[in-house]
Amino acid sequence: MPEQKILLYPHPLLKRPARSVERIDDEIRALVTDLIDTMHAGPGSVGVAAPQIGVSLRVCVVDVSASRHGKDNNHGLLVMINPVILAGHGAAVMREGCMSVPDYTGDVQRFTDITVGFTTEDGDPRELQASGFEAVAIQHEMDHLDGMLFLDRIVSLKTGLFRRKSYK
Amino acid sequence: MGPTDSLAHYAITIISKDRPGIVADTTEVLYRLGCNIEDSSCTMLGGDFAMILIVTHEKPFAKSRLAEEFKALQERTGLAVHLRTLHEDELIHSQEEGELCLISVYGSDQPGIVYRVTRALADRGVNITDLNTRLIGTKSEPVYVLMLEAILPQGMTVEDTAAMLESLRSELKVEIGVRAITPVSL
Repeated sequence: MPEQKILLYPHPLLKRPARSVERIDDEIRALVTDLIDTMHAGPGSVGVAAPQIGVSLRVCVVDVSASRHGKDNNHGLLVMINPVILAGHGAAVMREGCMSVPDYTGDVQRFTDITVGFTTEDGDPRELQASGFEAVAIQHEMDHLDGMLFLDRIVSLKTGLFRRKSYK
Repeated sequence: MGPTDSLAHYAITIISKDRPGIVADTTEVLYRLGCNIEDSSCTMLGGDFAMILIVTHEKPFAKSRLAEEFKALQERTGLAVHLRTLHEDELIHSQEEGELCLISVYGSDQPGIVYRVTRALADRGVNITDLNTRLIGTKSEPVYVLMLEAILPQGMTVEDTAAMLESLRSELKVEIGVRAITPVSL
């Protein structure tokens, strides 16, 4: 199947934790193809998670290699099945938007460096270190597998500087 | 204008001495009248709380109903309300495509920091989308902080903007930083 429609919040699947993939079969391979096609169809899209196309399974794809922020630091196309963040370091705030929550953006804090473990499309275990924008994209897509949206992680409405006076 | 044809739009501004309940009091009136809050920004300014709201109501609707309700609220709570009808041409937002950046300016307090910076930006067609200022520091050494977000015109870079503001940095003896904060779509 080609590109799938991206579900928009308040679709309930977007807030539901997804199930782990137990066996990589034709169904999962078809899902991976759909995810990649859907990612490539979205303007500027650098990742899609299965719940966003209506499948509540722990699968996501990320590819920041064509993006302005990720082109110099990436692993190309990543197909991640049952991904787990094994370690995370550093923190940086980026203003994120999401295809499932159009017309809104917010400042979200993420790890700058992560080690992520997952199963590849061929069923092999893989571990890799990602940093910068690729790390942000992986964390954003993995949040979808837990029913988390960037709206659940917005850190501030304004810079902290402007809040201090009220503490006096 | 499509669906907005059937809606009356109003801009409401409220500034009141801060206390718990200002938002609740205001939105209770709007809720009872059947108004929808389309867009709003509310914050503390000094010891006051300021609210700016765009609200809609299905036509036909008399603005005087809003005015009467708010007059009663004002008499009861001291909230001062200003109400204005928005016309159709004010409802169209232009879809800007340039880079979004955050510009920080801070240094010893002096008259004209906001004016000089924003005039320089305006002259180059930079559109401010959000702006905050605050006086911090001590009485003997007051420090002024200006933070703003702005959309650069097509083709203008963060570096161009920083270079353009460079002369103000030495003239006003302030620190000026320009950072790209264009949202990433994931």
